[in-house]
Amino acid sequence: MLLSEVGYARPSSVDEAVRLLAENDGARPLAGGQTIVNVMKARAAAPDVLVDLADLAELRTIAVSDEGALELGALATYSELITSAEVKETRPIVAEVAAQIADVQVRNRGTVGGNVCSNDPTNHLPPVFVAVGAAMTIVGADGERTVPAEEFFLGVYMTAAGPGELLTKVVVPPAGESRDGFSAVTIGADGTCIVSAAATVTGDQARIVLGCVAATPVLLTAAADAEAVREAVRGAELDPPSDVHGPAEYRRQLAEVVAARAVAAAGEGH
Amino acid sequence: MEPVASMQVSVTVNGDVYGREVEARRLLVHFIRDDLGLTGTHIGCDTGNCGACTVILDGVAVKSCMLLAVQADGASIETVESLATGDGELHPLQQAFSAHHALQCGYCTPGMLMSAKHLLDHNAEPTENEIRRAIQGNICRCTGYVNIVEAIAAAAKGEVSA
Amino acid sequence: MTTTAPEKVEAPEKGFAGESIPRKEDKRLVQGQGVFVDDVRRHEVGYVHFVRSPYAHAAIANIDVSEALALDGVYGALIGEEVAALTDPFFQLSVPPGSEIKDYALAVGKVRHLGDPVAAVAARTRELARDAAELVEVEYEALPVVVDPEHALDPDAAILHDEAGSNVVWSGEFDWGDFDAALEEADHVVRIERLHFDRFSSTPLEMSGAMVEYDRGTGQWTIHANNQFPGFAIIMMGPALRTGMDKLRFVSQDIGGGFGNKICTHPQLVALCLLARKLNRPVQWTEWRTDQHTANSHGNERVFLDIEVPVKSDGTMLGFRCKAIDDCGAYSRYEPLGCIIWAQVTPGMYRWRNVHIDFTQVCTNKSPCGPNRGYSRMQHLWFTERVIDIVAHELELEPVEVRKLNYIKSEEMPYETPNGCVYDSGDYARCLDIALELVGYSSLEEKRRNAESRGKLLGVGIGSTLDSGTNNFGQSQLLNPDLQFSGNNEVASVKLDIFGEVVVTLGTTPQGQSHETVASQIVADILGVTPDDVHVRAGHDSYWNTHAGFSGTYASQFAVTGLGAVKGATELLADQIRRLAAVILGADGPDEIELGGGFARRRDNPEAALPFLACGAIVNANNAGLPEELDDVTLNCRYVYKPPFQVPDKERKFGNLTLTYAMQIHVCVLEVDPETGVYEIVDYSAVDDCGNRIHPQIVEGQVHGAVAHGLGAAVFETFTYDEDGTLLTSNFYDYHVPHALDMPPLRTDAIESPSPFTSLGTKGMGEGGGAGIHAVCAAIQDALRSAGNAIVTDSHNPYHRVWELLRNPEASRALVRVEAQ
Repeated sequence: MLLSEVGYARPSSVDEAVRLLAENDGARPLAGGQTIVNVMKARAAAPDVLVDLADLAELRTIAVSDEGALELGALATYSELITSAEVKETRPIVAEVAAQIADVQVRNRGTVGGNVCSNDPTNHLPPVFVAVGAAMTIVGADGERTVPAEEFFLGVYMTAAGPGELLTKVVVPPAGESRDGFSAVTIGADGTCIVSAAATVTGDQARIVLGCVAATPVLLTAAADAEAVREAVRGAELDPPSDVHGPAEYRRQLAEVVAARAVAAAGEGH
Repeated sequence: MEPVASMQVSVTVNGDVYGREVEARRLLVHFIRDDLGLTGTHIGCDTGNCGACTVILDGVAVKSCMLLAVQADGASIETVESLATGDGELHPLQQAFSAHHALQCGYCTPGMLMSAKHLLDHNAEPTENEIRRAIQGNICRCTGYVNIVEAIAAAAKGEVSA
Repeated sequence: MTTTAPEKVEAPEKGFAGESIPRKEDKRLVQGQGVFVDDVRRHEVGYVHFVRSPYAHAAIANIDVSEALALDGVYGALIGEEVAALTDPFFQLSVPPGSEIKDYALAVGKVRHLGDPVAAVAARTRELARDAAELVEVEYEALPVVVDPEHALDPDAAILHDEAGSNVVWSGEFDWGDFDAALEEADHVVRIERLHFDRFSSTPLEMSGAMVEYDRGTGQWTIHANNQFPGFAIIMMGPALRTGMDKLRFVSQDIGGGFGNKICTHPQLVALCLLARKLNRPVQWTEWRTDQHTANSHGNERVFLDIEVPVKSDGTMLGFRCKAIDDCGAYSRYEPLGCIIWAQVTPGMYRWRNVHIDFTQVCTNKSPCGPNRGYSRMQHLWFTERVIDIVAHELELEPVEVRKLNYIKSEEMPYETPNGCVYDSGDYARCLDIALELVGYSSLEEKRRNAESRGKLLGVGIGSTLDSGTNNFGQSQLLNPDLQFSGNNEVASVKLDIFGEVVVTLGTTPQGQSHETVASQIVADILGVTPDDVHVRAGHDSYWNTHAGFSGTYASQFAVTGLGAVKGATELLADQIRRLAAVILGADGPDEIELGGGFARRRDNPEAALPFLACGAIVNANNAGLPEELDDVTLNCRYVYKPPFQVPDKERKFGNLTLTYAMQIHVCVLEVDPETGVYEIVDYSAVDDCGNRIHPQIVEGQVHGAVAHGLGAAVFETFTYDEDGTLLTSNFYDYHVPHALDMPPLRTDAIESPSPFTSLGTKGMGEGGGAGIHAVCAAIQDALRSAGNAIVTDSHNPYHRVWELLRNPEASRALVRVEAQ
């Protein structure tokens, strides 16, 4: 389909980007465009202004901090995550999951920031970032703040980065003794997730985060064995959506299975 | 700087520089097809799934229906029209596609070729799985992908006739 | 009584026929130089966007286009009221009540499915047309919605077409053999309560579209469209537009896939014709993907109820009886032909003699249906394959042996089915053996144990299917005796140009089937030249006057009808060349002349030779002094291929409905994850037989594509609606089609059983017959045998449905009963 009329600006600094976002009601950031352009084509949403972040090179970096944390610039693309030596050495689950997103063309454009801020419940990275305990850095008119991933996702398509604000990086702590895993059932190979689970296992405890079953990722903790994990999922009394890819009961059941498999995958390495 | 509803862009396509005034809302694929008259790049869906619009932008394969023309200001784009030489000699991928019957209706073919080119530009010896991953974003409804995968593998090996 | 007498079969001589030569189409297509409909450019075009109903069923209380028209850059609009005044409703093929349906280019008075177009706006740019569409204000009054075909006939169901007074499009009874006697003879009766063939379509990658121009001075419309059956479109559009057929010129060059989904675009084309005339400018429309899914052309959905299958203890099946309800969506455009076309393959591939079907077609508030790849035969063949698979399963008979026991045998060919269709040739049992061998069927138990060790359930399923081709349109009279359609035809012309160039014109509209290439092979062999010497015009143009009422590319027929026309025209030309050369070279007669290497030469003196260049030049530019006997030698020969059909017997609904029967047998090996219902196809074979293959590589390509479409429909693709008539799968996210990583390893092979009824021994074969769906259903049922023993009763089995079968096998088992007789 075709977009409504829109204003376009391509700032050359983060400050200018934030200013544009704050000063224009109905302004949205444009990162990779793999979600927002589609949404605008369907006219499901029609921002008045798109603030193109393409020239903000400082948001594109992938680095390891002095403390060993993985700092992912919000504009790092999935392809960049996959080929990054820093990601591979510090927290490879990020690359492993990014490699499952859609296809090469989407991965060449889609960004960490886009995946996280659009917060479609079927997106891959939100459950992963919650599981590993990442932190999101947000810049607004009032300056910079950090929000833990657990508190970042507020609702369908809604995050703590509000109007006039910009997510600038996602900081992933070093794995240390923890190991990560991910499991999903998808619509076709590398397709949209029907149910997903990210798991981070430390010692004999598991942090499990379910995607696709609620408006935001669902965080659970359990002992890192299959039965305990499944029981924790049952205990969460999930109320997942029913749609053409399965009734609620199917997602509820799948959630148990992928949670246990994510934990098992964590046990096998990473 | 203030937002604009339209602007002048300068885009290099297949080595030629084009300057055009475009609305901000114009999709890159429509810019390529309608404004520049390069109709080899096709449109097959509304949601960026089918890949018929695939071009190479600044060295990477992208779906041109999910980019605005204004985002391509200053960029360098290769479309299917860049593959054959000026003398009409077909690119090895084009030759291999024909030799292996990797196209029937030909509608997905330009996008498929650009994804394949992107693969071979970065990976000279792809496995079958790598080839399938490279074209995973390109839908074909005619061939079942069997001959397409064969053609790309053959082109990678430098074997262009069946 | 219909008979089909075998023609003298000419096996293709050693030559280009049978060789997989390089394709002529490729050079332009690999360079992006194809001309698809959206590539056609004109000045001062009005781009068109259709305003479509957001309701599945509603009365149109008011339409206001004034705001849209006021937008700068908008050229004009069209609404239903205007259409009703300027056009007559489209001809309906059915009898009452279906015949009373009023179908126009835009919805008139009410909308009957989500996406039903109510207005069209034309503007200077595509974006402006889209903007203007949003400014059209439509007031709807919602009406109750009918989405379930089984309830479309309930007394309290909403009626879609008030003039018809019923949701029945067509209904009738088919009865052949003696079913009651079969019941008596049987040892068991297997009763299956319900089998459901789901709604999907082939979703060609290129959407429908057109560039339409109107010449005021001559009243001539030129329609550049990717419609794949212009013969049908013209027959529908001419009377509707109150204009002569020749005033509708159809032109196309390259079409990006059709699969039957580009047949019923005549409503949109009429709207464009009206706009082009009204606005006095060319108008352009390219469909959106969402619109193709919601409002273009779905495959028929069909429910089979109360199925009874009399069987002998050894597994010999004697026939079947059932009710069938076919859901054709909101309008009957190519329908109700689907109500008879299945009868081309009444007993499937089996020797079942006693058949009774009560068939009803209903309309519902869903997208109208069109002849999707496999049209109507696929639905029926899926049914026969489910029947044989379920019966074998329940009687604990070996699936391979039961099929071979029931298959029509090659020595019985040509075989007359219970309703008088003649299967021309084939060796089904042999093809099944080849397909099984390709997947290593003999090591099945080992594979099963291996899968089990990994926690998976392995299943193997057979899907055998027919691809009947070259319709006898007389079958339409079995639905409506007053229809004046019968037989079939296709046209070709071949000429020598002034400088001896061989030029071929086809009446077909290929969408990837390689007609230019294959036609050139036939022509080359007859004229003694190479395919490179043969220029085949790309595409279709009714101004070429090389078409007839049934021209187009649909229904698996080119290798018979198209090539039959090409062969006929080329033989006429060859004959003329020989006659001309005989006179010029002083030979005793045309039989003394042979054609080779671009020359016509005397057999007794090869030095006496006339190049084609000379032949063309003499007739076209240098004909003074030629004898009178050569007056009819024009070197421009047009031929209409006509298959040998009779009008079927309308009383008994008996007669030959199709000329050829290609076949495919697929075997699917899959592994089910019992925890999730997710299954993976780990091995797959497809064996095809389409008679003599003119270009084996092209044939194989069609088989690959048919596998992908079948697997897509089996695993992923469904057009599902909620109870409000909202389509849940209107884009490629939710309507997932197979991508490269979704395809299984695919092993293919072929045999050739030439058809005795065609001039080249070929059979049409493009559609395939949906064997992938049949095979996957059988394989899932096999896999679940040891985990609840559920029965597969749906054609579409996404992961959640398999999970449900594992979780609650009793629900499906309750649909099947075996009774001793």
